[in-house]
Amino acid sequence: MSRIPLAFRAFFAILFQGILSDKLKRDLGLAPSPVRPAAPAAPPPPNPAHALQLLAILQRDSRLVDFLMEDIASFDDDQIGAAVRSLHDQARDSLARYLSLQPVIDGVEGAYTRPATADPAAVKFIGNVPATKPEGGTLRHKGWRAAKVELPALNAKQDATIIAPAEIEIE
Amino acid sequence: MEPRYVIGIDLGTTNSALSYVENRPGADPFALPKVELLDIPQLVNPSEMRDENLLPSFLYIPGATDFPAGSIALPWDPQPETVVGRLAQKRGIENAGRLVSSAKSWLSHGGVDRTAPILPFRAPEGVPKYSPVEASRRYLDHLRHAWDSQMPDAPFTQQHVLVTVPASFDAVARDLTLKAAEQAGYQNITLLEEPQAAFYAWIERHPDWRERVTVGDLILVVDIGGGTTDFTLIAVTEQSGELSLERVAVGEHILLGGDNIDLALARLVADQLAQQGTKIDNFQLQALWNNCRTAKEKLLEPGNKKDEAPVTILGKGTGVVGGSIKAKLQRADLERLLSDGFLPAVSSNDMPARQRRAGLQELGLPYAADAAMTRHLARFLRQQASTAEHGGVRRGPSGLACPTHILFNGGVLNAGLIRERILGVLNSWLAEESLPPVQQLSGEDLMHAVSRGAAYYGLARRGRGVRIRGGVPRTYYVAIESAMPSVPGFATPLKALTVVAFGMEEGTDLRIPNREFGLVVGEPAEFRFFTSAVRKNDQPGDLIEDFGDDLEELAPMEVDLPAEQNTADVVPVSFETVVTETGMLQLWCVARDGRRWKLEFNVRERVAA
Repeated sequence: MSRIPLAFRAFFAILFQGILSDKLKRDLGLAPSPVRPAAPAAPPPPNPAHALQLLAILQRDSRLVDFLMEDIASFDDDQIGAAVRSLHDQARDSLARYLSLQPVIDGVEGAYTRPATADPAAVKFIGNVPATKPEGGTLRHKGWRAAKVELPALNAKQDATIIAPAEIEIE
Repeated sequence: MEPRYVIGIDLGTTNSALSYVENRPGADPFALPKVELLDIPQLVNPSEMRDENLLPSFLYIPGATDFPAGSIALPWDPQPETVVGRLAQKRGIENAGRLVSSAKSWLSHGGVDRTAPILPFRAPEGVPKYSPVEASRRYLDHLRHAWDSQMPDAPFTQQHVLVTVPASFDAVARDLTLKAAEQAGYQNITLLEEPQAAFYAWIERHPDWRERVTVGDLILVVDIGGGTTDFTLIAVTEQSGELSLERVAVGEHILLGGDNIDLALARLVADQLAQQGTKIDNFQLQALWNNCRTAKEKLLEPGNKKDEAPVTILGKGTGVVGGSIKAKLQRADLERLLSDGFLPAVSSNDMPARQRRAGLQELGLPYAADAAMTRHLARFLRQQASTAEHGGVRRGPSGLACPTHILFNGGVLNAGLIRERILGVLNSWLAEESLPPVQQLSGEDLMHAVSRGAAYYGLARRGRGVRIRGGVPRTYYVAIESAMPSVPGFATPLKALTVVAFGMEEGTDLRIPNREFGLVVGEPAEFRFFTSAVRKNDQPGDLIEDFGDDLEELAPMEVDLPAEQNTADVVPVSFETVVTETGMLQLWCVARDGRRWKLEFNVRERVAA
C-alpha cells in the first residue's frame, strides 16, 4: 500500500470533514475488517406456525391434543388403555412420516459408550461427572433426533392457531 | 413413432394404479423387461401433496365450506373443481353426500343412463353431479398429470397406454371406459381384461412359466377386489409346437367384494355392542367399518394365533377416553362369517340365489343377492359345463369345468385364511370328480399385479413376451322381431341374430351372411342388443329362438343414415362386425354399394323406456 496517498487522504479528510470515513479507518488499520469470519448467524426467529402445524397434524391423525387436554383422573386404566392403543399407533405413524425420529447415539442402553461429540445439546453427562470432559460412560438414554423434517407447506391464507376445527354435524 | 414407454393402468373400483415399462425395440428378446410402478402425487390432506402408489378411486365435490381457500390446489391445476384420491376418500367419510365412489360399478350398470350426471347418487339438492363416465375421466386425468409431472421428457399422450377392465364388462361398459379415457386426453389406448393382466403379471414374475404349466392345463383366475368378484378361465394349449394361452371363459359381473366382508363384521360388532346396551350411530359405524378391516387383517396375518383383536371407536367430542367405545372382534366370529356367509363349503351343484327381478327394483347399484362367493364360483364352473365343448376346457365326469391351477388377485386375497377356504372348497369339488387338487400359482403384490401385467402385455403386443389369445368373451345378438301376428298381452316373440361369436379375435371383421335389413334414411334406426356369456357355440348369422334366461339385454344400438339426394328412402344393408386391434367391438351397417355406417350404443334410450 502506498503510504503517501494514504497520508494525503487522511490529512484532507481531517482538514475538510473533521472525521475519518469508515473506509479510510479500515484502510488505516484503525477499524476491524468487515470480512472477519461471520459470527454464527442468528437462527431465524422461530415460526410458531410450524409448531402449531405439528400439533395440528398429531391432533388430526391421532387426536393427541384431545387426549392430553382431557381429564383422565376418573377413568380406569382399562378404558385409558383401549383409547391409547389406537391413538398411539396413529401418532407414531405421523411422527415417522413427518419427522423420521432417530436416536442421537445408535447404541445399546446400559452399555459403555464413547460419544463422538461433546456438544452439551447432543450429549448430556450425568452422575459422577469429572472436572474435565469424560471419555465415555454408560449409555442411559439414546436421545432422539429428527433426521428430517418434512412438514407440508403452510397455507398462508389459513389461521395457523386453529389446531382442530370445531365439528358440527347436520342430522 | 415408437412410444418410449408402455403404460398399464388399473382403473379399479376402489383403487387405481399405474405401472410402466420401457419399450426398447432393439432390446434382447430374452432379457426380462423391467416393469415399474409410478408414484401418484395426490392430496392426502388439505394443502398436503404426497406420493402414494395407489390412487383411491374417489371423487369429492367440494362446496364452499369444505376446504380452506387454496388448500386443494394441485401442481397442475391451481383451482380444481373436484378432489380425487386419498383426500377425497377421507373427506367423503365425513360428508358422504358429496362423495362419488364405485364409479366403475356404475359404469357397468345398465339400469341407469351412464352418461348422465347421476353421481353422487344420494347427493342433496344443489350439489353438482357427475356421470360415471366423467368420474372415471377425472381419475384417468389425474393419472395422466401424475405421469407428466414426473416424466417431462416422455409426454403421456405419446406413450402406448393399456387400461384394464373387468372381464365381465360387456361391450357397452368397455365402450364407455374407452370414451372416458379419450375424454381424459388419452391416445393409443388398448383395453385389457383384468384377470388376464393379473396372469401376465405372474408370467412377468416367472420367466420359466412354460415349465410350470403343460398343454391341457386350465387356470382359474379368482379376482376379488373391494367391491367386485371376477372369475376367468385360461386354457394352456399348443400352437405350432409352442405353448400358447387361451382365455376360454369369463364370469358375470358380481358386485360383491372385500368391503362387504368388512361391513358385515362391523354390523356384527355393532350388534354385540347393542346387546351390551351401547348404540352406535351411522358415523360411528363408518369408523367401526374401518377398524374392523384393520382388525380383520391383523387376525388373518400369517402366524397370528390371537383369539380376538380390539376394536375401539374413539369418543366423538374432545373427550377421547371418556367417549370411547371398546369392542372386540372375535376370531371365532370372523371364521364363522367367512364359513357361513361369504365362503361356505357348498357343493358344486349349489347355485347362488337369483337376482331379484322385481318390477320396481330399488334404484342404486345391483349388488349381488347372494353373498356366498363359493356359490358364484360353483355357478361359473357349472356354466362352462352346460355349454357344449369349447376350446380346451378340462372337465370332470359330471361336466364341471375343473381347473388345474389357481391364481389369486385382489387385496382381499392377501389373507391366507380366505385363500385356503376357496382352495378347500374347490378341492372338495375336484375330489368328487376324482381329480387331484389345484396348484396355487404364487402371485405377489396382489394390489399392483393388474397394472404391472397390463404394462407387460403392452410389450407382448409389440412382439416381446407371450400373448393370451382370447377374443370377445361373450356372444352378441341383435334382436329381430318375428313375423308372427301379435297377441294382446304378449310381447311379440323375439328372435336373436348372432352377430358376434364367442372368441372372435382382435383385429378381425366379419360380414353377417344371409340377412339384409331395410333402413329408412333420415331417421334413427334402433336395434335391441343382447349378450350371453354362456352360449358359446352360436355362429354368426345363426337365428336363436326360445333363448330363455340365457340372453341379457344391453343398451340398444342405434344408427342414423343421413338423408341424401338421389338415394332411395329405404337402403338395404347387412351387418358387419369388427373387433378392433384394441379389443373394441363395433357393429356396422353396410349397403350394397359399400357405404358404411357405424352403430353406436344408446345408453339413454333404455332407461327412458
